[in-house]
Amino acid sequence: MDSYLDKLPEFVDTIKSIKETIITNIVLIGQIPAPTFKEKRRTSVFMERLADFHVDECTTDGYRNPIGIVKGTSETKPPIFVVAHLDTIWGTDIDHYYTIKENSITGAGIMDNSIGVGVLVSLPEIFRKLNLRFESDIVLAGVIQSLGKGNLRGIRHLLKTWSTPIRGAVCIESNELGRLNYYADGMTRCEIDCNISTINGWEHKFKPNAILILNEVINQILKLRLPQRPRSRVIIGKMSGGFKHGMIANDARLGFEIQSNSDKMVKSISNNIKDIVEGISHEYEVELKLKTLSNIHAARIKFNHPLVKSTVDVMKKLGLTPISEPSESELSIFLSRKIPAVTLGITRGENYQQTNAMVEIEPMFKGIAQIIGVIMAIDSGVCDEEYLA
Amino acid sequence: MKSTWLEKNTFHYSEFNDLDRLVEEKQRKNLKISLCLPTLNEEKTIAKEILIMKSELMTRYPLLDELVVIDSGSTDKTREIARAYGADVYEATEILPDLEPFKGKGENLWKALYVTKGDIIVYLDADIKNIHHRFAYALLGPLILFDNIKYVKAFYDRPIAIGKSKIRPTGGGRVTELVVRPMFSLFFPELTQILQPLSGEYAGFREIFEAIPFPIGYGVETSMILDIYEKWGLDVIAQVDLDRRIHRNQDTRALGKMAFVILMTFINRKNKLGLIDLKEDLFNEMIQYNLVKNEYKPDIFQIEGHERPPIIEIPAYREKFKK
Repeated sequence: MDSYLDKLPEFVDTIKSIKETIITNIVLIGQIPAPTFKEKRRTSVFMERLADFHVDECTTDGYRNPIGIVKGTSETKPPIFVVAHLDTIWGTDIDHYYTIKENSITGAGIMDNSIGVGVLVSLPEIFRKLNLRFESDIVLAGVIQSLGKGNLRGIRHLLKTWSTPIRGAVCIESNELGRLNYYADGMTRCEIDCNISTINGWEHKFKPNAILILNEVINQILKLRLPQRPRSRVIIGKMSGGFKHGMIANDARLGFEIQSNSDKMVKSISNNIKDIVEGISHEYEVELKLKTLSNIHAARIKFNHPLVKSTVDVMKKLGLTPISEPSESELSIFLSRKIPAVTLGITRGENYQQTNAMVEIEPMFKGIAQIIGVIMAIDSGVCDEEYLA
Repeated sequence: MKSTWLEKNTFHYSEFNDLDRLVEEKQRKNLKISLCLPTLNEEKTIAKEILIMKSELMTRYPLLDELVVIDSGSTDKTREIARAYGADVYEATEILPDLEPFKGKGENLWKALYVTKGDIIVYLDADIKNIHHRFAYALLGPLILFDNIKYVKAFYDRPIAIGKSKIRPTGGGRVTELVVRPMFSLFFPELTQILQPLSGEYAGFREIFEAIPFPIGYGVETSMILDIYEKWGLDVIAQVDLDRRIHRNQDTRALGKMAFVILMTFINRKNKLGLIDLKEDLFNEMIQYNLVKNEYKPDIFQIEGHERPPIIEIPAYREKFKK
């Protein structure tokens, strides 16, 4: 382990020497719109690029997640997975064309997750440039249907149908360099729709306002007493509704997430909110529909897991300070299947999830070196010990 | 009208995506290839073009031997950015400084012939938002693989960027359809087979470019086609479908000016070739009107109509290239 730790700083310069190729991959893939459930075109380009880099095997699984396999030297060691989600929050009508300056790339989706995907596709070339061979096969997977209503379907399917054990995994996100995620909170993502009938019936002497009804729901959610342990919270994240300023709103929608490091607590809060919704629906005589969009189970490896410790060493060697928070991404699916995994960020930027999102180019090379370091750590056996969580 | 050309000399970029084959054939024929990007305030797109071309067609597949930016005096960071990404950057005024300086795309293309070394030169506009290396290799394909082809022109479906972040799926090419195509139909019906005569992406052998004059402004594409057609015939020309090209949209007034310059170039060419007889010189002012405080005021755009001679006629060029 230590021998390659020492090489990491010089890896940064070597990786930088092929920056044109890395940025080209980021641009060629990232400029293709890929809203969740419509990732087909991006998937094709992802595959084309992998094939163009002469990856040993290039295929899609039954769910159309594109996968490239860089063959390892050992026939017995399980594979190491490196994944990045392909989908973005932006629709096809949004301009996805990037602007590159001396030290920045700007455009829709660049921070979530074009850098991650472009780097993933560049890894075979980076391995070649660094003259690296691994014992394990390296499985490079661009996973689809990850965000929002996608509910991590791509990665769930990929892992469910993968027939052999998996040695460990690295999940790549564009943003933010220094993140080290190794635990995932339990999470339920819900929407409440409020619809007031537009026909004046006998039940409403005064017509209710859908927005005010949801406001009442929010007030009652805020009154819930949430414990500090297990750590739990409800995030009110989205609200929409109404038609025009001078008209009572007939429709409104509220989006929220329940997060906790205890699945039991997520379930309990979820039941409380269900009661609130039923109560308000009854008392105000309106139609309120509670929909669960996605669920994630709480899962983690401990800070003293060798994978986490090695990742910290890699980051420190590169002068990075690891910052850890829970993550509700592909990581949680690996962890819930007892596969040691971490999520790492590649670079820094601004305007996350805006059409003018901007990332810095220079920190990216350290971000990539860090990923290489962690793959090498897994290949050296840090995930082969008994699972410690 | 001989219409077999369209069938015979029209290609799709995918016919040339075997880059190993192109490189092999290029090396066998001992060809050198230069890519030239003419620029004026293109800081938003220039880096992307350089990066992709360098990565794919220089580092990974050695198809291009040099990448040159010829700038018309950008006031933004075009030159700094281009240099930072490793292009050879020239200001047009620095090249052949003893000649009277002009400003325009045609001037940049013409001067590129002096500073580049390639047997083949690829010209790409620097404002392409969806730049892909196919824009260069597909233009090179017919030149490298077919001995009779000397000049290749791009065509595409041209969506244009509208508003802040929205794309309209089709459109563009208005000057082509409203000005150039009617003129070609009237005077050179064979040339109507060239689907987008105004596309800013083309490639050709030096021996072709050095032997034709270059108008300094917008008319360069039209005159290039007319001159090549006149000197060597249609069969040395090919066109390649590059799929889609996304560029900045220009308003009607700007297109009006472009149309004016193209008409001027076209009529002057026909006059020179003796195909029409002009009784007097053309006016060189495009007059558009603005409504200012309830009063119509003329907005006059003057075109000098300068034209560079075939560069082979320039002694410094002949000396440099031992011609």
